[in-house]
Amino acid sequence: MNPIAIEATSLNKTFKTKIGLWKTKTKSTVAVENISFNVERGELFGLLGPNGAGKTTTVKMLTTLLLPSSGTAKILGMDVVKQTAEVRKHIGFAFSGSRGLYNRLTAIQNLKYFAELYALEPQVTRKRIPKLLEMVGLSSRGDDRVETYSSGMTQRLHLARALLHDPEILFLDEPTVGIDPVGSRELRQTIKTLMSLGKTILLTTHYMAEAEELCQRIAIINKGLIVALDSPDALKRRISGDSVIEACIQTGQAHILMERLHILDGRTVVDLKNGAEPEKLCIRTPEPSRVLELLSPYLNPQYIQGLEVRNQTLEDVYVTIIQAEKQ
Amino acid sequence: MRAMPWRLIKQQVAVQFRTFTLDFWSLGLFVIQPAVFTAVGMLLSHAAGNAMPDLVYTVIGGGIMGMWSGIVFTSSFDIIGDRRNGVLEMIVGSPTSLTTIEAIRSLTNVLTGLFSLGLAFIAALAIFGYSLRNVNFWGVGVSLLLLLFAMWCIGVFLANFLAWSRVSSTFVDYLEMPVAFLCGFMYPIRVLPVWLQVLSGVLPIRWALQAMNESLLGNRDWSFLVTHWAVAIAISLVFIAITRWLQVKVQDSIRVNGELSSI
Repeated sequence: MNPIAIEATSLNKTFKTKIGLWKTKTKSTVAVENISFNVERGELFGLLGPNGAGKTTTVKMLTTLLLPSSGTAKILGMDVVKQTAEVRKHIGFAFSGSRGLYNRLTAIQNLKYFAELYALEPQVTRKRIPKLLEMVGLSSRGDDRVETYSSGMTQRLHLARALLHDPEILFLDEPTVGIDPVGSRELRQTIKTLMSLGKTILLTTHYMAEAEELCQRIAIINKGLIVALDSPDALKRRISGDSVIEACIQTGQAHILMERLHILDGRTVVDLKNGAEPEKLCIRTPEPSRVLELLSPYLNPQYIQGLEVRNQTLEDVYVTIIQAEKQ
Repeated sequence: MRAMPWRLIKQQVAVQFRTFTLDFWSLGLFVIQPAVFTAVGMLLSHAAGNAMPDLVYTVIGGGIMGMWSGIVFTSSFDIIGDRRNGVLEMIVGSPTSLTTIEAIRSLTNVLTGLFSLGLAFIAALAIFGYSLRNVNFWGVGVSLLLLLFAMWCIGVFLANFLAWSRVSSTFVDYLEMPVAFLCGFMYPIRVLPVWLQVLSGVLPIRWALQAMNESLLGNRDWSFLVTHWAVAIAISLVFIAITRWLQVKVQDSIRVNGELSSI
């Protein structure tokens, strides 16, 4: 059995739009540029990136909804362009948002319709729909129209729809966007259950905690390019040794502290988050004791109102990488 | 694709009815609009000095008008509606081809249109005392089947044509009346200038409808009817061939441009 579930090799996607009054000019937008990665069977792989980074475009190419401009993508060894119909039988996908279901139908009517699109036998459909509704916590609302659902319920119904044909591979594109914390936690729990059932999952998100909690490996994507790919721990080790010192500063005093820290070498990065009240100074440094020593004369409410020293989180890694890319 | 996906047909028809057909908009399309056309036809007939309205072209013509309007609007806007709901991506991403879904939808729309025609027949019989004594039933039956087939072909063609680009959707809005006039829904085709009759010849509906109207009026000239049926079938097949070509273009285009989910 092929241990690789998803294989993307030098995937590119460029959108071409006709512009101008007579549509004579063509504007090209590179959405995905030379992306390559593999996802092993049973793995939960995360695609992280800011809005517009190319995450959804990548997922849509892998789910056969978009044709790549160049490069190849294989699902369970099958080419997404040449063996489209076969690939579709083995994958399920759910996108964020309330679109993608018939709002005037009930959850059960929607699921019955999509079950038929996947040519499920009636006896399978009859058994699976109640099970899936139970799994996503919608058993009691199955006969209600989707238009009466909250965002979280709709998202969970999307997941049930994606699982109807019991696919081996699941693509979840920002599944917790717009869902309240309790709903997000429940959805993450469902994703963990799916993992325990041996599903391969590709998850896109820009919630770092979610990625850190769920993903075994993460690719950080920015402006269509993969800029980092590793396990969450390994990514954190990349800038390991660095500590993060967050100081709440009395408004207007930050420049004094920044000047003071200016004597440190380039390995220490000082970032002022103004706009917050009080202002917040975020210092990422391999020598926290030296920073604390420099800041110690200012440890009084006139300058520093609060101070926290902590290890790097995935969010710090992400911000570092994305900011480095910007520069 | 499965040989004959009866369960899919049943589900698709159910979805079509629940999401689209059973609402007031469809009531207007399939009942009120044909009734208005019939009323206007009767008034014009009366103004022209006829004591009784021309039932085939006025009453039943109104029913045909309802069928046609239903096909144009429902088939054309099915894909747009799905795109707007975000369901189009889900359908395209499933193992069932969009072509199959379009075919079933168009069939549903055509058969729903029969409701307009049925009402028109009932009105002709019950209200206006239309007699079935002279009707060529075989001619009507075969012609009606071919009319449904021709409308189904046009429905599938329109669905793809509309999905092709946003510009094409603009044209569909202008199709309803010109096609109705060209095909002689509410008057005999012979009253049109010759060049318009030639132009209407490219529409399979025109040939099947002409055969049906003549059969309703008692025409038993089988060579006339068979010729019209043969032409209706031939042109319908040409539309199917064009539609197949268009389907490949459309499905490639929406996957290249990423227009599956854009509104």
